[in-house]
Amino acid sequence: MTDLTPSAKRKQARLIDLAAYLPEKILSNDELASLYPEWPAEKIYSKTGIKIRHIAAEHETAADLAYEAAMALFARGVVKPDDVDFIILCTQAPDYILPTTACVLQNRLGIPRHTGALDINLGCSGFVYGLSLAKGLIETGAARCVLLLTADTYSKYIHPLDKSVRTLFGDAAAATAIVAEDSDFESIGPFVFGTDGSGAKNLIVEAGSFRRPVDSESSVEQIDESGNVRTAENLYMNGAEVMTFSLKEVPKAVDVLLEKTGYTREDIDFFVLHQANKFMLEALRKKLKVSDLKLPICVENCGNTVSSTIPLALIQMRERGQFIPGVKMMLVGFGVGYSWAACLLKF
Amino acid sequence: MSKFYEGMAEIFEIDLSEVKPELDLQTAVWDSLAIVSTIALVDDCFNIMLDGKSLGSCVTLADVEKLIEAGKKG
Repeated sequence: MTDLTPSAKRKQARLIDLAAYLPEKILSNDELASLYPEWPAEKIYSKTGIKIRHIAAEHETAADLAYEAAMALFARGVVKPDDVDFIILCTQAPDYILPTTACVLQNRLGIPRHTGALDINLGCSGFVYGLSLAKGLIETGAARCVLLLTADTYSKYIHPLDKSVRTLFGDAAAATAIVAEDSDFESIGPFVFGTDGSGAKNLIVEAGSFRRPVDSESSVEQIDESGNVRTAENLYMNGAEVMTFSLKEVPKAVDVLLEKTGYTREDIDFFVLHQANKFMLEALRKKLKVSDLKLPICVENCGNTVSSTIPLALIQMRERGQFIPGVKMMLVGFGVGYSWAACLLKF
Repeated sequence: MSKFYEGMAEIFEIDLSEVKPELDLQTAVWDSLAIVSTIALVDDCFNIMLDGKSLGSCVTLADVEKLIEAGKKG
């Protein structure tokens, strides 16, 4: 029977801890500059804001990175493997076509068998989507402790001579714990979502799945007008189109979410955007008309780590002491799909 | 145009005095990064979104300025 007494509190989802893992191997700007002489190391840094990227080892998969991030989370002692009753893994580099990588991780991580587990295939918007699923599971009473893992190894898709993407992307994983709390305080949400599949071709690994299986033609190298080399099996990004999409859709999503919440830009303490690179974040910051203090840029030591950029930024902000009661953040993920999502996160 | 010219000087890492309509974009390195940066700059200065393909086929800065003028009208 439903408890309708005035004191009954709702189950609210709350983000209680985060941890991350960056693979050991490092790719520096000096190394990239030696491959692309027209882009000196200083230019790469000044434009992208990135000094180094971490790169997964040859036999290290996104699931391995997710495993390490989850172990780092458990080592912090806030959440134990036994607490988890749902695993969401966001990745675009699964271990297998089947089974689901999240199921494999349940066993590796020693998480109980009464746990639900699923993969979601999203890129840079994935963390915010993962939070929305975690909130839904918790606030409908379906789960009490969701382990949200974000992990990707785009480096494995990138041609070594494609500077347009190799300078930007790094590999990483993050583990986020979202738990049920009896409270009247909505910590996560509301959300806004967006999708425009007409942009699919602008950020894509075309060959290697069923629409275009790998064959002798898919591995033929092509050189584009900027001198970048890639095959159809590699990651392709049309930077101009992705920039245009981001400048159009991110400010709109921010405005729609502000309208939904009744807050103004001034009420939001931090706009934690997907950490694509410095020039995109600065362009968005100008368009959003917010100060640089309110829009953190956390790419220097990891680059664009796809679905892990927002949790990595949150970890840096926690280290700076910015997780204080009352703080209001807006998280905005956007990219491959095109897919985007924004939500509020309050402490 | 001054804010736009200052931005272009920054993108090409050249002196502001070198930024003029007849500037040859290829000489100044008109690569994917410069095009992406120009899209953001034009949006910031004029609230106009240029597309990468049209920008990619520009030869001089005057061609970029023509796209901006067309964007203002369109």
